[in-house]
Amino acid sequence: MDENKPVPQTEEEDEVRWYSYVALLFAIVFFSGVLATSKEWYSVFDFTVLNGTFGKIAAANGKALTFRGAGGNGCQDGFAFALSLLPAVIFALGVVNVVEGLGGLKAAQKLLSPLLRPLLGIPGACGLGMITSYQSTDAGAGMIKSMYESGIINDDEKTIFAMYQFSGDGTITNFFSSGAALFSILVTPIIVPFAVIMVFKFVGANLIRMYIKFLQKKNGTKEAA
Amino acid sequence: MMAEKKQKKNIIDLFIEGCRKGWDTGIRNMMPNVLMAFILIKALNVTGLLKFLGVVFAPVMALWGLPGEAVTVLVSALMSMGGAIGAAAGLLSAGTMTAKDVTVVMPAIYLMGSLVQYLGRCLGTAEVNSKYYAVMVGIAVLNALLAMWVMKIIVAMV
Repeated sequence: MDENKPVPQTEEEDEVRWYSYVALLFAIVFFSGVLATSKEWYSVFDFTVLNGTFGKIAAANGKALTFRGAGGNGCQDGFAFALSLLPAVIFALGVVNVVEGLGGLKAAQKLLSPLLRPLLGIPGACGLGMITSYQSTDAGAGMIKSMYESGIINDDEKTIFAMYQFSGDGTITNFFSSGAALFSILVTPIIVPFAVIMVFKFVGANLIRMYIKFLQKKNGTKEAA
Repeated sequence: MMAEKKQKKNIIDLFIEGCRKGWDTGIRNMMPNVLMAFILIKALNVTGLLKFLGVVFAPVMALWGLPGEAVTVLVSALMSMGGAIGAAAGLLSAGTMTAKDVTVVMPAIYLMGSLVQYLGRCLGTAEVNSKYYAVMVGIAVLNALLAMWVMKIIVAMV
């Protein structure tokens, strides 16, 4: 599924505010599912709780079914199924938009930037491009190109950063749109597969980092910036 | 948290705007992808190819405790993440995959997702040296395969 949001270009005028961190924390808790099984009032801060369930329809055999029914197949069943998924997709993107609008992603960027050199061997300045790529594949890739052209990253760093984005690109947009379709059937909290994706993005980037080092050793060359 | 005067849009506006995006994505991207996947699975079913794929890939997919048919999810992921989600949903409703199976492949769908498109949209746009392309695709697929093992372990603990 393809995100085609326009570029959230470069540094916005305003800095990260306190509520940006709150929004980020809220998003993590909200999609983590940690409060899903709570019977207390604060289960209100959970995506699946608020997403709710469809009403049941009594079937002839005494079973209760949703409007999708049972035993359908092919295109028609696909249509009914897709309809049943719509609420989760609409709701999830609504929440993501609020978090984004309150600067939650900018807060994440601020927290991530100091970690980029140790974790990926790329400059902290790549933080914005990284956060952007979570929302838009095209915008994220465009920022790699412009950072390389303005000399902020060298060729090796460009390759590492591109690998980071390439695997699981458009992460947030894709996961919370197409992925939302399956949120209700996941046997783990929603945040678990998302976190696994995030971790492996770093793994992949480090594999290409090692590969580049290996090539350089083999060729006996020392590539400078 | 929330509404400060500086904010041009308030939280309600932001939420409604996001929901509208969700509706658009749902109708324009998710639904066509799900329909295509359901039709494909129906076609594979009618022709008996799905059973065939299931048998052929059973030994491979067994590495992750998945039915052989799950290979269709991974192959469609290379083309489109949404298509793969649809394929997983289709196999789930056909009873071929369980909710646990779907949870296991979920991260893999994204880690090796849409690579065919992203060769152009990511690596092409970023002007990555094309000598790396093959390795990078390999790493993305490896990411996906490793992630399925991690998910298998996590799911086993749930």
